[in-house]
Amino acid sequence: MIAAAPSILSLVLLTPFLGALGLTLLPGASPVWLRRLSLAVLTAQLLLMVAVLFRFDPARGQMQLLEQASWLGALGLDYRLGVDGLSLPLLLINGILSLVAVAISPLTTPRPRSYFPLLLLISGAVNGAFLAQNLLLFFLFYELELIPLWLLIAIWGGRRRAYAATKFLIFTAVSGVLILVGFLGLALATGSLDFSINPVLSQQLGLGTQLLLMGALLVGFGIKIPLFPFHSWLPDAHTEASTPISVLLAGVLLKLGTYGLLRFCLSLFPQAWGLLSPGLAGWAAVSVLFGSLAAIAQTDMKRMVAYSSVGHMGYVLLAAAAATPVSLLGSLLQMLAHGLISGLMFLLVGVIYQATGTRDLTVLRGLLNPQRGLPLTGGLMILAAMASAGIPGMAGFVAELMVFRGSLLTFPLATLLSMVGSGLTAVYFLLLVNRAFFGRLATEPDGKPPALLPLAGLARQAPAVVLAAGVVLVGLWPQGLTNLAVASTSALGQPASGAFTAVAMAGASQPAASDVLQKVLVHGG
Amino acid sequence: MAADPSSDPLSPLLQRLLSGVPLLAESPTHVLEVVGVLESYGEVLDAYSRNLIYQGEQQFLNPFPVFRFFNGELNWERLWRHLNHDRINFEYAEYCQKAMLWHGTGGLDAFLESGRFAGICQQVARLKRRHDPLLGLLSGLFPQFLPELIRSAATTHALGQFWRVMSDLFLDLALAHREGRITSIADVVEFVKTGLVAAAGLPIRYAVQLHGATVAILPEDAQLTFLMDVAVPYVEAVFLRGMPFLGTLSFNAQATQIPHDQGQFGYGALFADPLPTMGAGIPPSLLMQDMYRHLPAHLEAAYRSQGRGVVDIHVKICMSFQKAMFCVTNGAINGTMPHPLDDPDPRRQSANRDHCMGWLERLRQAQLTALVASGPERIRTPGHH
Repeated sequence: MIAAAPSILSLVLLTPFLGALGLTLLPGASPVWLRRLSLAVLTAQLLLMVAVLFRFDPARGQMQLLEQASWLGALGLDYRLGVDGLSLPLLLINGILSLVAVAISPLTTPRPRSYFPLLLLISGAVNGAFLAQNLLLFFLFYELELIPLWLLIAIWGGRRRAYAATKFLIFTAVSGVLILVGFLGLALATGSLDFSINPVLSQQLGLGTQLLLMGALLVGFGIKIPLFPFHSWLPDAHTEASTPISVLLAGVLLKLGTYGLLRFCLSLFPQAWGLLSPGLAGWAAVSVLFGSLAAIAQTDMKRMVAYSSVGHMGYVLLAAAAATPVSLLGSLLQMLAHGLISGLMFLLVGVIYQATGTRDLTVLRGLLNPQRGLPLTGGLMILAAMASAGIPGMAGFVAELMVFRGSLLTFPLATLLSMVGSGLTAVYFLLLVNRAFFGRLATEPDGKPPALLPLAGLARQAPAVVLAAGVVLVGLWPQGLTNLAVASTSALGQPASGAFTAVAMAGASQPAASDVLQKVLVHGG
Repeated sequence: MAADPSSDPLSPLLQRLLSGVPLLAESPTHVLEVVGVLESYGEVLDAYSRNLIYQGEQQFLNPFPVFRFFNGELNWERLWRHLNHDRINFEYAEYCQKAMLWHGTGGLDAFLESGRFAGICQQVARLKRRHDPLLGLLSGLFPQFLPELIRSAATTHALGQFWRVMSDLFLDLALAHREGRITSIADVVEFVKTGLVAAAGLPIRYAVQLHGATVAILPEDAQLTFLMDVAVPYVEAVFLRGMPFLGTLSFNAQATQIPHDQGQFGYGALFADPLPTMGAGIPPSLLMQDMYRHLPAHLEAAYRSQGRGVVDIHVKICMSFQKAMFCVTNGAINGTMPHPLDDPDPRRQSANRDHCMGWLERLRQAQLTALVASGPERIRTPGHH
């Protein structure tokens, strides 16, 4: 039934689902083998993604490697897959972080025959959302990813897992409903009942209709990202989720929201987007500042990193609001940088929690001690903090610089306020690093030296080293990603109908993304 | 004085001292640790002592003592080992020497400040003016420059002589343990006390060859002796006041964490944080590195089987070293006790009590937790997340 001859995207999509099915049906496999098989499946998935990368032509901004098959045509649900410069990097980061999540899952995890297949299901659903070229298909995968995630929090989570999982479910269910309403409304308004992603049709709608439909999608994706004031599910979910789930949640799942923002809100409704963009930029600045200030107030390391995500996702909204070629490329880079950095941070917090039994910053001290502490974890955490705060040479710097450079002329005030948020990132992460890692290793409440911390072990820290290497690699060689994405992200800002964008509204002369990147790399910003 | 003497944490320690029981709790593990660490310390002190004596005699007033750690053995192989850090950290010995110079107490310090010593310095200055234009010029411009260098050299040599004795004492202790003559902590303390008392009267002398003339810097007739003029000032400087044991703990003077009388401020070996950063160049880590090189096999095996194994071995050496130094201090307290412990005269008993309390008051803020017998440190059970 599948029309396109080399159906590599379908292979990418099917691999984790088939893997999940196989693991569930496999009789009597030990946790070691379940993890090994999961790793094998996800390695195969990543290799297939790399194969997609080789087939992909970065010079073309359109969807590529399209695959199509009629499925439930009467419902408008067709099997249509495609990939462009926006979705391919996100696909790759999903592949990498899924592999990391399985690699760091302890063998002592209870019910491994359910746990590992659910992880594979999440990976597959996220792939599906990024590849889907049909609104209903996207929605299907968007919702499909919720179920395993909810189960992974509700069953394998911490003490308050039931509360956190339910809160997560309620928030994201509302998000799903709003998105579904938006998609159905779009189909009805345009008369395009095949639910295809067609900017030409959506841009012909009246401004009022566009605003209404986009508003529903905006709030729907805003909950998922999450943006202030829809964020409150995230810190709870992170706090209660186990480390691998937090890595996936921060690194990949939040990106579904920002991806939706760019793919559906911006590209389907550029006119409404342009009208709302000053407000969106303001919303972004508020989200950035709120996330940063809330992070400063946290004493739980996981909550601090979670609130930092709220702040850092605000940059993506700011860049999307400005919708200049540079800012849109910056928004994608920010998604990828945040995926790597927050994934790394949650991973390290997990190592610390496992070793010390706490994430409380009022208790932890001196973990950088080379003999009795966790020096490698501490070193990598400092690297992650520097990257998150936008220190040059690391992924966060390139991403934030492009976001700010691309947005400054369009929304100077919101950009400047967001830059303050970037400064605040350094504040809260230095607080974290200073409290947990510097000084003398903590003593017990009675003044006795603490029981020895178990060694973290190189094997358990290897995934963190890989992510840290990725953070530095993207920082030093961002061209690898930008070359892949620049044509597609630039196309996002140029609507099919030639309708105006925020760029046009601002009347400012905007540089090409590739030019800015060139200057950044030559002059170091 | 504490309102209730029985609640004073020093009371049990005082009772132990007055009844001849060692401060450090008796346990087979403690014997293993203390004897093993003192053996490796003896080896290290041997190297330190040789180098300090070499420096005092061969590097005297050398304005650029670049190769002072080479003991005169200057060749490519030695240079490579030095640069590759395959060597003893003689810097630690220098830290201790500086601590003694700066926290100068006792007969040695008194002599270095005396008119007699000033005369010796003038004699050296005259010789230098004639043969060494640079030092001659500096000595003329800054009259205190040369005496300070000579004080430093004298302390260096005196510390070298002190450590020579201590090194032999600790190596003899290890031998006695191997021969079965030492089986308990009480035996260790007694051995150290006997050794210190036997060496108490050894003369401390220092002379240098200078342009064909022999100059006695610490002359024999100054009557400086091992115990009161060098050993006690050493204990005061390195064990109690302590500069060489800089660590990661910081003290806030405004929060009265530092006594008004700064002479009472203790941060020596007995006060040191047993968990230093082990950062490069931080003195305790230098000594622990040196002792690790000479650790007896059975003690190293014990350390490797405990806690984090070899990863935190320096911390474990530091903790054992602190126990060992309490034994040495214990030996010094016992050795300088004014009267026999079993003397029935109440006045003499009182004098003994005052002597012990005087020492213990100095140790009030020390790492007294090291004295308690405890099993191997336990590793925290990892969490399940």
